[in-house]
This record gives sequence, structure tokens and C-alpha cells, in this order.
Amino acid sequence: MIRYLLRRAGRAVLLLVAVSILLFLLLQAAPGEFLSDMRLNPQISEETLVALRAEYGLDQPLPSRYLHWLESVARGEMGYSFAYNLPASQLLWPRARNTLLLTIPALILSWTIAIPLGVLAAWRRGRWSGRIFSAGTSTLLAIPDLLLALLLLLLALRTGWFPGGGAVSSLGSERFGDRIWHMLLPVAALTIGALPVILRHIRAALVEALESPFIRAAQAHGVSTVRILFSHSLRAAANPLISLFGLSIAGLLSASLLIEVVMSWPGIGPMLVEAIISRDLFLVIGAVMLSTLFLVLGSLIADLLLYVADPRIRVR
Amino acid sequence: MDSLLRVSNLNVAYRTDGDAVTALRNVSFTLEEGETLGITGASGSGKTSLGLALLGLLPVATKISGEIRFAGKDLKAGSKEIAKLRGSGISMIFQEPALALNPVLRVGKQMVHVLRSHGKKTSELRREIDHAFHGTGLTNPERIAHAYPHQLSGGERQRVAIAQALVCRPQLLIADEPLSSLDPITQGEILELLQRLKKDLNLSLLFITHSAAILSTVADRVLIMRDGEFIASGALSELRDNASDRYVRAVLSPAQEIASSRTVHSDRLEPPEQPSLIQVAHVSKRLVQNHFLFREKFAIFALRNVNLEMWAGTTTALIGESGSGKSTLARCIAGFETIDTGQILLNGSAIKTNSPPKQVQLIFQDAATALNPRLTAAQLVAEPMELAKVGNPTEREQRVLELLEEVGLDTDSRFRLPHQFSGGQKQRIAIARALSLNPQLLILDEALSGLDVPLQARMVQLLLKLQSKYRLSYLYISHDLNFLSLFAEEIAVMHEGTIVECLAPKALPHASHPHTQALFASSRKLHAPGLVEASVLDSSS
Repeated sequence: MIRYLLRRAGRAVLLLVAVSILLFLLLQAAPGEFLSDMRLNPQISEETLVALRAEYGLDQPLPSRYLHWLESVARGEMGYSFAYNLPASQLLWPRARNTLLLTIPALILSWTIAIPLGVLAAWRRGRWSGRIFSAGTSTLLAIPDLLLALLLLLLALRTGWFPGGGAVSSLGSERFGDRIWHMLLPVAALTIGALPVILRHIRAALVEALESPFIRAAQAHGVSTVRILFSHSLRAAANPLISLFGLSIAGLLSASLLIEVVMSWPGIGPMLVEAIISRDLFLVIGAVMLSTLFLVLGSLIADLLLYVADPRIRVR
Repeated sequence: MDSLLRVSNLNVAYRTDGDAVTALRNVSFTLEEGETLGITGASGSGKTSLGLALLGLLPVATKISGEIRFAGKDLKAGSKEIAKLRGSGISMIFQEPALALNPVLRVGKQMVHVLRSHGKKTSELRREIDHAFHGTGLTNPERIAHAYPHQLSGGERQRVAIAQALVCRPQLLIADEPLSSLDPITQGEILELLQRLKKDLNLSLLFITHSAAILSTVADRVLIMRDGEFIASGALSELRDNASDRYVRAVLSPAQEIASSRTVHSDRLEPPEQPSLIQVAHVSKRLVQNHFLFREKFAIFALRNVNLEMWAGTTTALIGESGSGKSTLARCIAGFETIDTGQILLNGSAIKTNSPPKQVQLIFQDAATALNPRLTAAQLVAEPMELAKVGNPTEREQRVLELLEEVGLDTDSRFRLPHQFSGGQKQRIAIARALSLNPQLLILDEALSGLDVPLQARMVQLLLKLQSKYRLSYLYISHDLNFLSLFAEEIAVMHEGTIVECLAPKALPHASHPHTQALFASSRKLHAPGLVEASVLDSSS
């Protein structure tokens, strides 16, 4: 068990290193750098620019810059933001907390809604209620996240029931209820966006499980419908769903970046966009690395669940 | 006295893409308390549909009509009341015990689900489960209850399935081919268990099988089905003696058909000085399994010092329980797997794994999965020739026509896809494909086990015809000793990775190895005297 986890964790670290190297290479290949805009300004002399480049370490070759970055990761700084004149980690952590504040409730909410609904849909397959369900999820699936977020915003502005954006009513006020009130819309957008995919997978996995011979045998022995659905079928269908759980974390994170921008939620998303536009190298790298870290953690959790759920993996 | 079960005018039709396919037509019968009623017929005749209809387990979109009277209560077929009888009134066991138990739940937990669903109290659970396991001959209930299905043997799993079916004390047990996936020794044990339980619990049994031999030992009365209707009923011996219908004869004594085709070739002589086609000498093979998660490895001997010799134009049967290494040996002979020590000679030269010999072809149990569903019959048969670059397209086309005719398929159907053929026809395509490169040896790995008995008999007829025409050799892998001794010249008995004995079917009663004796004894139990007239088992007794 421990060894299994250690192997998985080792793989995760390797993945993170590979992603960081790739990031450095890609950003190197991208045109322009943080100082490109200053170069257009005639009031800034060439000497100043050279001095700034040396200060930020931009004149050094790529490998040494990468090593410097690794060093600062080890110090817990994750590089330095040119625009804010602060270590990237100081900027990123509160933002990351805000992003998690959206994605974790959305994750929990979408799965708690999807499991009973999906099970029900699988049970009612081939009947009218089942067909209506399929049509409903198809429609939801066709709506892009962006449109969904805009529709919800429209609702908020027209009715005034919900705040039109942001995370708090006024800066500095950190009331719990206020936070929740501001979270409602973005979390709803994320949940509704993630639901149809999860629902359809649960339904498909369960339909397959329900048609397996052991379910028929259990029915023949008089096991009640509720037990058939929630104990027998759901357990048997768990493997692909657990993998999907890991994937849904990734999906929610990337959807969250978009929703945050649209709903002006102070998460990683808006910061990433800003950093990309201003070519704030280390902030971009830091934000992407953070997202990757969450993603890797998510699939690590999925692996762990898989190990617990399937006795056939454990014993072999 | 009122019968336990009275079924009147039961009709079942499946709906597929708007069409209704009739599975049962006006089926009526009665079943008395404590009686065993055997139901037999070719596959697709509606046997299983009948069992499922009695439990209300047919798919949602099925049209059902008719009356069922069970234990003094009138019920409409397909109604909700029938579902309430499941487990406590009527229960069912299925063919494949490995598939009848949920793989991710402990066996004891599954028993708990059954008991809980029938309103048993927590305090009673433990005692009931112990009792049920003991009743089915599982002596260590503690271990069984804590095991997952994959940790149990095939026999144990079927016992658990029976325990689960009977734990809420139903009056009627429907057994749908409960023996056909088990090896002969376990078959005998399970059959004995069912008969004992029937007596102890005063159960009525509805025994569904295509094997008339099994019915002759268990059934008080037999109903024969064809295309969803009962066409004959009565005691088995009466039915057999008065069978005028060809279908009834084929179902009840399929062996006759083999016997008739075998006599033609029984004078076939084996030149003693002929060199052997296949010579397996001192072959051993270890299977090294990589641990799924960790790097640990452990090895099991799949084959241990196997010796076997085969000649052209003969049939050698390979029999043994599952896991005894039959399929591994077959794959080694076909050159799909390497061997660790020893050698396998084909016509005197060693078989290489990097170029599996064309003279050896394998045919598998499930033709449906062995044929690419997107290729037509003609493409399937031509494929080996294309890969081996034999002839030009027109020659190949000619050869495909010949082959299809040879295996008894209508050549006009050659542009159909596999799913448009029946199970027997699919296996015919597989045989035609195997023949396309003019092999000398065909390995039939449980190739006929998926087919019903009359169809198996017809396939054996075909194989024997091909054998005499092309001097083919067969390595016929099976666990049905009764059936294979009808046509095999030699029987090789495999046990724990080695061939313990090679003998002619006639010599079976005088077998020296205890495992062969046990196999023979349990096969005798499933064998009906007088039923398989041509059987060597019979003539020797």
C-alpha cells in the first residue's frame, strides 16, 4: 500500500519536473519578454534595459535560469513577479485558495447530484423518464461554459438576487455569509458545466453493470432494487467512475479559470490572463505549475480510491 | 391437490428495433411439489426465456402475457407480484458461477444483501449464512464469507450461488445449465448436492439444460422445446423410445449421429511405421507473472515434463480440469508461446515461435469473438491466404467458395457479416478459415463447448468428414469425457500441468491413474445408460 503510493507520488514529481521544463522551453520560444513594451518607450535608455535584464536574470542562458527557478521553488518562492515586485508564491497562494474555494464545492456538489440522478437514469433506461433525462443532459452538454456563465450573470443583474461578480461586497469585509453569497453563482456555473459529462458517464457505467449476469442473479435471489442499484451496481461500476473523478478535477480547474475571468473572481484565472498579457514569465509558470499540482493531486486521490475500491487490484 | 406451479398460455416476445421476436408461444405446464422437471431443446428454443419469465426478469421492453399460479396464488405474468416471490418463493441459479457473483463484494456481504432484502434481522444473519453454507457443503463458512469471488474455486462459487439462491427457503429452484461450465468431477459433486438439497428442503426443481444425459439422472419428467413451444413431454425413457420426430431424436440422443458417420471411417488403419506428425518431448514451461503493482515476480509451472505424440489423420482428445495447462500446451504446439525445456517437433523439425507453423491452426471456443465483426465471411476466410501471399485474387476467391462449401455453408451468404450467422455457422466460418492454408493439425480448444449438443454432434460429423478427406489430425480439447470418447482415437488426461495418462476410450474403465479414474467415475454419473448407444463407455460396461 505504502509502496504503491510512493511509486505514484514519485511519478507525480517526475511529471511536475517534466511540465516545468516544457513550460520554460515553450515560453522561451514565445515571442517577446516582460521588457519588450519598455523597449518601445524612447524615454528608457538602452543601458537601463540592459541593467534591468541583468537584474531579472533574463540575460542568462535557459538552463541557468531554470536552475535559479528550481532554487527559488526550494525556498518556497516559485520565482519572482516582474510586475508586482514580489515572490510569485506570495501572489499565487491566496489566489489558489480562492480557486479551490470554487472547485472543491463544485466537485462535491456535482458528484453528489450526479450519482443519485445517474443511477436513477440508468434504472429508468428505455422508459420515457430515461429518454427525457438523456435529452436534458445532451442539451446541457451543448451549452458552452462561457455562455452558461454569461446567462447566470444576466440572471444576477436582471434580478439583483445575486452579486454581479467579485468575491466580497466591499474590500476588507470578510463576512462568512457574504463569501458564500458571492460563491453561489460561480460554483453553480461550474457545477452545471461539469454535471452532464459526469451524469452521462455514471449512467453508461451503471447501465453496463446492470446488464451483467451477477446483477440478474442478485435479482433472481430477491435482492431489493435499492441494494441492487447502490450496493451492487455502483460498486461494480466504480472503476471507470473513479478515474473520471480524477479527470473531473482537471476539468473543473480549467473551467474555473474561465469562469473566474468572466465573473471576476480573484482566483488563479484572472491572474494568469494578466500575467500572460504582461509576459510576467515566472507568474505564468507559477500559475500553470500550481494548476498542474492540483491536477496531479487529483489523480493521486483517484488512484488511492481505486486501490481501496477494487479487491482485484489489491490482491494481485 | 393443487400443483405448486401452473403456467398457462405464457407468451413472451422481445422487441428489437420495432420487430417483435417471439421467444415463447402459448407455453403451459404444471410442476408438483418436490418434482424435478427437465426442460431441454436446442439453443434459442426459449429455455432460458422461460426461466426468466417465471421470475419477471425479462428486459423492460418485452411483451409478456399469460397466467402463473404459484403456491395457490394467481399471478399475471410480468406483474409486480412476481418480483416479490424472488428468493423466497422462486429462485434461480445460472450457468456461470464466476459471473453470477459480484466481483467487488465479499461473498458474505452478498448473502447479507439477500437476507436483508427479505427482512431478516441483524441478529439472525450470521446464523442463517453459516447454516446456508454448511447446507451446500462449504465446511469453512468463515473463510468463504470473507472471500471475494475470485478467491474461490469454480465449485465453491457454484456452491455459494446455490446457498444464496436457497437461503430464503424458496419452494422452487430454477437451475439454468448449472453444470455446463464446470469440470466433470465438480459437475458430479454439484449434481449430487442439488439432489440432496432437493430431498432435504422438499424443493421443486426446474432443470434447464441441453444435455439429455444430465436430465436422465435428475428429471422426473422432461419437456422438449422447439422455437418457443413445447413439442413433447413425459418421462425421458418413454420420449426416447417413441421419438419419431427427428428434432426430438437429435436432442435426446445426439450421439447416434456421430456414430453413424464414424462407422464409415472406423476401418481406417494406422500404418505403424508412419512417422509422427507432432512429437512433444519433455516439455516444461513456467509462467512468470509480474505483480500488478509491485515488481515482485512469482512463477508457476504451467507445463511439467509433458510428452505427447500424434499421427496424421487421427483425433487426440486432451481432457483435464480448468487450469491444468491444456490451453497452454495447445498454444505451445501452435508456436504462440515459447517453452523452457524439452522440444516440440512437427514432421521432425522443431517449432519456432517467431514463425508459427502454418500446418497448425487453432480454433477457439467463442467463434463470435474470434471473427472480426467488420469483415464478411469471404474476407475472413481469405485473410490467412492474403497474409501468406497464396495465389492471386481470383484463385483465392475460388478457394473461398470451395472452403465454404466444404464446411457446409451456403456460398451465397459469403458477403454477410459475422453477426448475421448463427453460432454454429460462425464456428463453420472459423473452421473454413483454419483450413484455408491446408493445415495438417487443427487444435480445437473447447471449440464446440458453446454449442448445444445436437449442433455439437453435427459439427463433429463435419470434422470427421474433413478428416478423412484431408488426412487432418485433431487435438480436441474439452472437458466432456462422454462426448469426446465417441470419436477420439486417443485420450490424453492432463492434471496439474502434466499428461498423466494416454489411453484409448475403450481402456477408460481400466485406467491406472487415480485422476483418470475419478474423471471416468464422475462422467459415468452424468452418463445415461442406453442413451448414448454408440458410446464406448457403454459398450465397455
